[in-house]
Amino acid sequence: MKEKINRHHVIAFCLLGLTGALCWLTGLQFLGMHHNDIFYPSPGLSKQTKLSFYLPHLADSPGDTEVFCFKGKEEGGNLLILGGTHPNEPAGFITAVLLLENITVSRGKVFILPQANLSGFTHDDPFEGNPQRFSIETPGGKRWFRFGSRLTNPIHQWPDPTLFINAAGQALSGAEVRNLNRSYPGKKNGHLTEKIAYAITELIKKEGIDLSIDLHEAAPEYPVVNAMVFHENSAELAAVASMELQMEGIDIRLEASPPSLRGLSHREWGDHTHSMAILLETANVSHGRLKGKPSEALIVEGKDRNYEKASKLGMLFVPYSKEGIPLKERVGRHLATVEALLRGLREIDQNLTIDINNFPSAQMVTERGIGFYLHPPK
Amino acid sequence: MIKIIYHLIVLFLTINLIWYLFREKQFWAQVSTAVVLVMFILRLLLIK
Repeated sequence: MKEKINRHHVIAFCLLGLTGALCWLTGLQFLGMHHNDIFYPSPGLSKQTKLSFYLPHLADSPGDTEVFCFKGKEEGGNLLILGGTHPNEPAGFITAVLLLENITVSRGKVFILPQANLSGFTHDDPFEGNPQRFSIETPGGKRWFRFGSRLTNPIHQWPDPTLFINAAGQALSGAEVRNLNRSYPGKKNGHLTEKIAYAITELIKKEGIDLSIDLHEAAPEYPVVNAMVFHENSAELAAVASMELQMEGIDIRLEASPPSLRGLSHREWGDHTHSMAILLETANVSHGRLKGKPSEALIVEGKDRNYEKASKLGMLFVPYSKEGIPLKERVGRHLATVEALLRGLREIDQNLTIDINNFPSAQMVTERGIGFYLHPPK
Repeated sequence: MIKIIYHLIVLFLTINLIWYLFREKQFWAQVSTAVVLVMFILRLLLIK
């Protein structure tokens, strides 16, 4: 029997086709974020490995991120630099990329993880409307970088518990189970994020890291911004570095790591390893709650009229003008602080000296731009 | 196991939406269903 096809059935078929096309287009965009960023390490690179080297459980998982090692000919101190703990804080990530694409080390060892939470780079935060990528102009063309989420991708770690009690015993809201900087010292057989935290802690122990630096960004209305958060084992170093920075005209706030705030890098690295532990924060308007329309320009140029108004009303913890706080300035601040910490380390203990050549100076990055120090895309 | 249960729930809701899409006679209600369906299909395929 031949059934009559109604008008609404034809429309339903057409809409189903349209739905398929939309799924295809949006799906491609989402899946595009799973393609890894390409880095071009400097000729000074001694060894490139994966984080699973320190925790074989992590092998081939979405958390198995790259570890770049630069080793000097002379013995000295060992440094760990972590970028991309929170993939929506691009200054930390880009500072790490800038270092790994430029430096050579003549004394000591430097380990760089540009994308500490690699899974967080594969998605972005729902309802934020952030761009998936941002670009930086280099002399040989644009380099694109992913702008991810603060948290591990739920595709890789699901479901979130109602209450997350981390390895250090701190009770947190459920979603924080996917926050790398609440998961230290990590768990060998825990969730993916806890495994990443555990592997990083193992790296610090096995490589005998003397100084570990975690690079972050925060909203200008957040009190811990343009700040250096230090574990009590690093108080002297932080004080020396802060004086060095102030002599250069860079204002930085010193914040002691609260002993009762558990699971954070600056607390657990210091408590569970022999490493000095420091976390750095710069001010990023694209991270803030007062921002206007999210865009690539907002990430790179850091200009926002709402923040201008907020600054005039005295609501911010950093100076803010219509020039904004561009990425090159935030990266420059991180670089200047890392350099000051290295000088401080040498002052505190000569044996821990780390000599880095071709270190992109904060002043030059601010003047010439980040792209000048990035390898052109191939 | 929990992922299988999740998939089954999303699959059930997706089939319901498709069923509704064909049963509904008002054009704008059909369009609204199609828009919601996009999200359910992406979720079903775990694309994020």
